[in-house]
Amino acid sequence: MFNTSIKEHHSRVEWQMIAALLLLMLIGVAFIYSASSANDAKSHLHIRQLIFYIVGIGAAVGVCLVPYHSWSRFATVIYWLCIVALIMVFLFGVERLGAKRWIKLGFFQFQPSEFAKLGVLCMLANYLSRPVDELRNPAIFMKSLALIALPFVLILKEPDLGSALVLFPVGLVIMFVAGVPLRYLWKFVGGVGILVVLLLVDILFAPPKWQIKLEEYQRYRLLVYFGKDFAPKDGTPEARERARKLQRDKSYNVQQALISVGSGGLTGKGWRQGTQNSLGYLPRAVAHNDFIFSVIAEEKGFMGSVIVVILYTVVLFTGIKIAGHARDRLGRLLAVGVVALLFSHVFINIGMNIRLMPVTGIPLPLLSYGGSSVLCSLIAIGILQNVYIYRRSY
Amino acid sequence: MLVFDQLRKEDRKLRWIAVGVLFGLLILLGGLWQVQVFARKEYEQDLKVQAFRKVRVPSARGKILDRNGELLAENQPRFVVNLYLEDLRSIFRQQYNHTVTNATFLAEKGGKLTRADRSRLSADVRYQVVSNIVWQVSSMILPQPLVLQARAFSRHYNESLALPLPVLANLTPEQVALFMERGGENPGVQLEVQPVRHYPNESLAVHLLGYVQREIIHETDEEIAFEDKIPDLVGKAGLEAMFDAELRGTPGYRSILVNNLGYRHKEEIWSDPEPGLNLALTLDINVQKTAEAALRSTGANTRGAAVVLDVRNGDILAMASSPTFDPNQFLYGISHEAWAEINDPKLKPQLNRATHGAYAPGSVFKIVTGLAFLEADLVDPMQEIFAPGYYQLGRRRIDDLAPPGNYNFKNAFKKSSNFYFIEYGLRAGPQKIIEMGNRFHLGEKTGALSPRQEQAGYFPAVGQKYKKDGSRWLDGDTANLCIGQGELTLTPIQVAVMTAAIANGGKVFKPRLVTALLDEGQQTTVKKFPSEVVNDLQVSKANLDIVRAAMLADVEEKGGTGEKAYVPGMNVCGKTGTAQVRVAKGMDHITWFASFAPFEAPRYAVVVMIESGSSGGGTCAPMAREIYKTLQKIESGTAPLKRDQIAVLPSPLQRREN
Repeated sequence: MFNTSIKEHHSRVEWQMIAALLLLMLIGVAFIYSASSANDAKSHLHIRQLIFYIVGIGAAVGVCLVPYHSWSRFATVIYWLCIVALIMVFLFGVERLGAKRWIKLGFFQFQPSEFAKLGVLCMLANYLSRPVDELRNPAIFMKSLALIALPFVLILKEPDLGSALVLFPVGLVIMFVAGVPLRYLWKFVGGVGILVVLLLVDILFAPPKWQIKLEEYQRYRLLVYFGKDFAPKDGTPEARERARKLQRDKSYNVQQALISVGSGGLTGKGWRQGTQNSLGYLPRAVAHNDFIFSVIAEEKGFMGSVIVVILYTVVLFTGIKIAGHARDRLGRLLAVGVVALLFSHVFINIGMNIRLMPVTGIPLPLLSYGGSSVLCSLIAIGILQNVYIYRRSY
Repeated sequence: MLVFDQLRKEDRKLRWIAVGVLFGLLILLGGLWQVQVFARKEYEQDLKVQAFRKVRVPSARGKILDRNGELLAENQPRFVVNLYLEDLRSIFRQQYNHTVTNATFLAEKGGKLTRADRSRLSADVRYQVVSNIVWQVSSMILPQPLVLQARAFSRHYNESLALPLPVLANLTPEQVALFMERGGENPGVQLEVQPVRHYPNESLAVHLLGYVQREIIHETDEEIAFEDKIPDLVGKAGLEAMFDAELRGTPGYRSILVNNLGYRHKEEIWSDPEPGLNLALTLDINVQKTAEAALRSTGANTRGAAVVLDVRNGDILAMASSPTFDPNQFLYGISHEAWAEINDPKLKPQLNRATHGAYAPGSVFKIVTGLAFLEADLVDPMQEIFAPGYYQLGRRRIDDLAPPGNYNFKNAFKKSSNFYFIEYGLRAGPQKIIEMGNRFHLGEKTGALSPRQEQAGYFPAVGQKYKKDGSRWLDGDTANLCIGQGELTLTPIQVAVMTAAIANGGKVFKPRLVTALLDEGQQTTVKKFPSEVVNDLQVSKANLDIVRAAMLADVEEKGGTGEKAYVPGMNVCGKTGTAQVRVAKGMDHITWFASFAPFEAPRYAVVVMIESGSSGGGTCAPMAREIYKTLQKIESGTAPLKRDQIAVLPSPLQRREN
């Protein structure tokens, strides 16, 4: 009996999730190939992605080797390392397209904001895994908020609004499940909500002088998302014409992504047959990363989209199941945090492809091309599996 | 199931999380359904609009055939060299990278390129690459290499990038051979064949056929936003203009898939062009040739016209106008010299004098005057009266070329006695003459060509008391009218219709030029144009016979003014005319010969008009004779005629033989 139970809790991983993940990775390689090879026959982005997967799986296995409550003691260290990395970005970061998001490490560039998401997740889970009674103390709540706010501000400064904002749903879900009194959460959410509404009203409707200084591109993205006319009503015809052109340019990505997804129809045009991508209407710089879903949706249609969503559903719900099976509050919070993190990414990314969400640089977990993103997603999965594996290891 | 298990969880908080996640995913699925299934059409449309260019491909223009199926206008293959820019993109890129990495270039720009710098540079590079290729290709073929105009290139690049850039047109067989040998090595360069309008007989019947020009595509056209057009040919004059739509056929459409920069990616044919209909004419190429040669017999710049009608049905067997020009030269840019030549203010080669020139008919009109007073029963045609060699009307003396003597109708007619016709014309009164003229529909467009290509001339109306200039109608004006001067101008086609009516017993035809529209592919007649009688003169046969006999005498009898039109065995009947017209420097002559043949069974009416001729009998009658000779040859089968081709209606010229 004893023997079998030991064997059981060390060998059992959540296979449903792993099956779904493998399928997602397969789709990822296939469509990164489709997206990149249409323009450049010698492109080997899909091979690189495959290497990222392998490295990521290695990292995930590594994460699984040590029970989470052992390494979670180092959560604070991990958190502060992430903060340091974010500051490093600020100081020595590599600038691309006007944003400083990368640190160069020899041949490899990595994106600390991706890792910061995991750092915050571990830190909060660890911090809030204390007895429920203590959570009633507002100071604990304030401190949790501060733990989110610090990386939030740093990431916002890069600027990378999307990644910064993702921290909040993750934090809130962890706090909610940990048992932070709901009234705190409501107050916070309500306050932020009012703030956001005020901000939007300001950006969308206020005269230029009264507007809060936002990064130009962020303002444009919001204007595009809300379908606002760029042209000033009292402007000269030339100014209006210029604004119109700007509007066309700025809404180009969204428009092309929508055309890709929509023209895919029910069954799609077939793998590597998508014209939006191969003819370059879907911008080449983003087709294989932020807008990979558009490529899948165009080539595989609604059916393909549904399959992708179902695979994510399997991952997310097995995640929730794992949270339910966790042996302690820490494991439960870690699992829930990972679920919230993955869900936010999936929702925001797919949402922006069909204009449900404004355009942000949030990658689609495992499908978007990118080392940091893949690595972090797989480490997050490793955390989930870890919680599952050690659910009964007393 | 996994999902429902989580939703049914005892754990309240996790249940909320599960509900939240499920809700979010359902929103995504809903959104995807909306975009990919519900609003699919809209996005497919957007895709089409941005990625497809519709290209109109001109169809082969219909042919124009003479009554025996001889070609008057056809299409010939034209060899062109086109440059496909999409094949040059990698060269553009290489060249661009080469320039950008050039240190001195960067230094000039201060080490950093702005967006505007980059786009200017890539435009420059494109122009460089393309103009080099154009120069290379053309230097192999032409003695003088072509220089591509930067503006022309940028216009092509911006407006019709999906279409190839035309480099060379109209290659001769030698040039094609040169190109095949050496030109094909250049990337993107292709030799292609286009059909182009060709008039094998050059200037023959140019005034009837008209000509075509390349269509000028206006950018304001509404359609232009949606489709690129390959310029079609548009009929600009004559039948080419009248039947432009029918000849042109239905253009085909190709759709070109273009990438985000507008380069051609793939082509697809939606509909093939349908060739235009062929136009079958009443014209006989040999008669036409003879008529034109006859007009030219007194010099290439002879200003005149000749019309040959079939008097039985009004078919135009020939309609010539001189001088002429070659319609082939209009197609691809006409030289300034040639343009000046065809717009010569005196010669007016573009003018179709047969339908668009109105002239005083002179004595030719005595046919009408005579018929009018014969019909009024005022004269015994056999009774002779003395003519003094002039006509005294009050204080005015009207000259008469007929010598003094006694004249009956026939002699007066054949000597063209002004005295006789004025005397009896005045007795009959102007109204009788005008009324008779109206029966012939003089002064009205005959309908031989489109209203734009014909003019009505002028003929007074019955009851008219005033002249064109508003002054009162006097006896002197009637006297002038009797001899075809003054208050009337007629076109040669009107005179021909008039002569034909005399010949055929009184039927005034609408002259017919086009017999049918034919679908060559389907071997069917799409539309027939039957001959039309406009009016019947309703004059007595006896009087017509008197006039006809007088016309026969004019040619066949000694001393007739039309002697020179005599053709043995043809029994030509005619009337000469020499009208005096006031021109800037003194007087000029419009000379005429109106005739029909053969006397006993008239089949042809031939009218010749020459401006500044010496006299109707001296200038025009010999030309008519040449035409009759050809007609005679055709009837006896000695003229070359191809009969193996489609003849739409039985030709009167053939019928006789059978």
